[in-house]
Amino acid sequence: MIPLLFAASVVIFTLLALQPGDPLDELRQQNPRITAEQLEQLRRAYGLDQPIYVRYFKWLGRALQGDFGQSRTYASPAGQIIFGQRLPRTLVLSGAALTLALLVAIPVGIFSAVRQYSRADYAITFLSFVGFSMPIFFLGILLLFLFAVWLPEQLPWFPRFPVQSISDFQWVQVTRGEISFFQFIGDWAFKLVLPVLALSTIQMASWTRYMRASLLEVLNQDYVRTARAKGLGERIVLYKHALRNALIPIVTLVGLAIPGVFGGAVITETIFSYPGMGRAIFDSLVEKDYNVAMAALAFLALLTATFNLLADLMYAVVDPRIRYS
Amino acid sequence: MAAVATAPQQKSQSTWSLAWRRFKKHKAAMFSLGVVIALVLMAIFAPWIAPYDPTAQPTGDNLADFYFRGPSAEHWLGTDELGRDMLSRIIYGARISLLVGFVAAFAAALLGTTLGVIAGYFSGRPLRFYAGPLAKLAGGWSPWPFAIWRVISWALLYLLLFLVADLAWVLSGSNVQALFAGTASLNNVLSLLGLVLVWGVVLLIAGWGLFGQGKLDLDVAISRFMDFMLTIPELPLLLVLSALLRDTQGAVGQWAQSVFGESASVFIIITIIVLFGWIGTGRLIRGAVLSLREQEFTTAAQALGAGEARIMFRHLVPNTLAPLIVNATLAIGGAILTEAALSFLGFGIQPPVATWGNMLTKAQEYIFTAPWLALAPGFMIFLTVLAFNYLGDGLRDALDPRSRL
Repeated sequence: MIPLLFAASVVIFTLLALQPGDPLDELRQQNPRITAEQLEQLRRAYGLDQPIYVRYFKWLGRALQGDFGQSRTYASPAGQIIFGQRLPRTLVLSGAALTLALLVAIPVGIFSAVRQYSRADYAITFLSFVGFSMPIFFLGILLLFLFAVWLPEQLPWFPRFPVQSISDFQWVQVTRGEISFFQFIGDWAFKLVLPVLALSTIQMASWTRYMRASLLEVLNQDYVRTARAKGLGERIVLYKHALRNALIPIVTLVGLAIPGVFGGAVITETIFSYPGMGRAIFDSLVEKDYNVAMAALAFLALLTATFNLLADLMYAVVDPRIRYS
Repeated sequence: MAAVATAPQQKSQSTWSLAWRRFKKHKAAMFSLGVVIALVLMAIFAPWIAPYDPTAQPTGDNLADFYFRGPSAEHWLGTDELGRDMLSRIIYGARISLLVGFVAAFAAALLGTTLGVIAGYFSGRPLRFYAGPLAKLAGGWSPWPFAIWRVISWALLYLLLFLVADLAWVLSGSNVQALFAGTASLNNVLSLLGLVLVWGVVLLIAGWGLFGQGKLDLDVAISRFMDFMLTIPELPLLLVLSALLRDTQGAVGQWAQSVFGESASVFIIITIIVLFGWIGTGRLIRGAVLSLREQEFTTAAQALGAGEARIMFRHLVPNTLAPLIVNATLAIGGAILTEAALSFLGFGIQPPVATWGNMLTKAQEYIFTAPWLALAPGFMIFLTVLAFNYLGDGLRDALDPRSRL
């Protein structure tokens, strides 16, 4: 895992270092009278005169100590921006989306498999096709149009969901006693409804399908028939015998999807103006503030590698037949 | 996995006609096939179908009258913020989406198949990978690709060693110089130690490089590379790559423009989609080949004296065709989705060229005043991706020899 992460960080760093335009461009524009000498001095101060691989190892040395460099646009340390401010917000958004997806997908998938070829099953299969064919950015815009524009206009009692999905309430206000805890949670939850829906749809749809397929495969196995032949009740057959084995592939799938959800949050956060990590990556690429992008991307790579490993390990935990030597 | 249906039949039927008969039973897939054909025709004949020029802006006195017009008889889908006809832009947008989808999926399938079959076929059979200039080789310089690679590998090895040595000097040089100038701090001593260590290792490897030989299991190399690609956060990296290649000022961007020519942005998008898109196919084919190469027909081909390349591409690849086709069909939808997402974020194909993705970017700003601007392109992306997903599903059922008629 460490060599993979090292290689990934090398590639990401190189790609960002090759990006056209350096932090000095901005300075040149803001201050046309800056002399070439001063620029050269700054260039040396930022370490931009050194070859890329030297810069990489310097960056790595500092990053391992938790220093990700200075952000130009936010005028504070990039690590603090990403890990202190943005990451918790993305964790809330992605965590809620993943939980919602799981809570819907597993029961619906089970229901759909048990009632195979019923009308409900056809409807669920169709909906899941629709769900994972739906581009997340179109879904986001659609949700905004429906719940922030159209429905509130048509129905006066309908709550108008915000276009900008960030609550004004700070946790400090709760500790100071200015607002109650429930006000705080309620406001955040209300404002997160649309982005969470948008972000969870794809996973919800594909996990429903996988859950259905996985359970159907298990239900056709001999040991399930044996369990039924023994005269066990359908509930016990389903939940004690079939479901446990059917969940094994789902565990891996969920583990592998988690980093993708974080990465995919770039689009959701952009549409709903939610200042999370994805939005920070997007902004820093537009603003050429590469220290921020590097910190966030390095974290995403770490997350992906960790969850790939965890998915493998979890696989062994839930399925005792698999043993790693 | 194999697509060969060998069950004895009264009237002999080819694999493909059997598959077609199974495919016809899948109503949603048949409908999707119709949708895809209609979309392709629309894309090909766009200049004849589209009622207006997709980039033409109205001229006249009351320009404001032409902007943001709702659907009407003249403009079926209304006009956008610059008065351009939405229907024409949608029709022309199909060209980009389908071009990107088909080319990217095809190229990714090609790359993934090639690397997958190489990884699977040569697994557990390390190939000669490095042989120094002074190494004594049993088999001489043959085959010729190895002879060429051998020379390249010397250059790569010594370049790498030079970079490492140089890096060590840049990082520790000033401290070491300070040590010899008389300031003996712990830091400076450590720097000297590190420098000596790194340079020693570099010299050792350089010495080995003259005489040494190395073998490499291609499967290990390719599989590790695929693992590595899966570690990279895909969507953000696509944005980074796209920003790098599309830029007209940077050296890399200019190189890309000169390579791809006029429609550079389209081909750049295709390239970066392929860069991440082949991995799924690669893993699939590798897995299939690992089991296929153990079967009797492969042994028979080897016994008959077929070459490695012939076995790989004439015997093994055709047997992986069924999952490959399904995978490629689903990949078309995926590539269309990726292109649209990149264009939506402003990192894909740039206006004024109309693509469904970049039409949505502007539309989001006007969602309060002109919602129809968002609905049309978004629905087209959705419909196209849905059609390819159903098509893939139908093909999966049709090409699976276990599924009955």
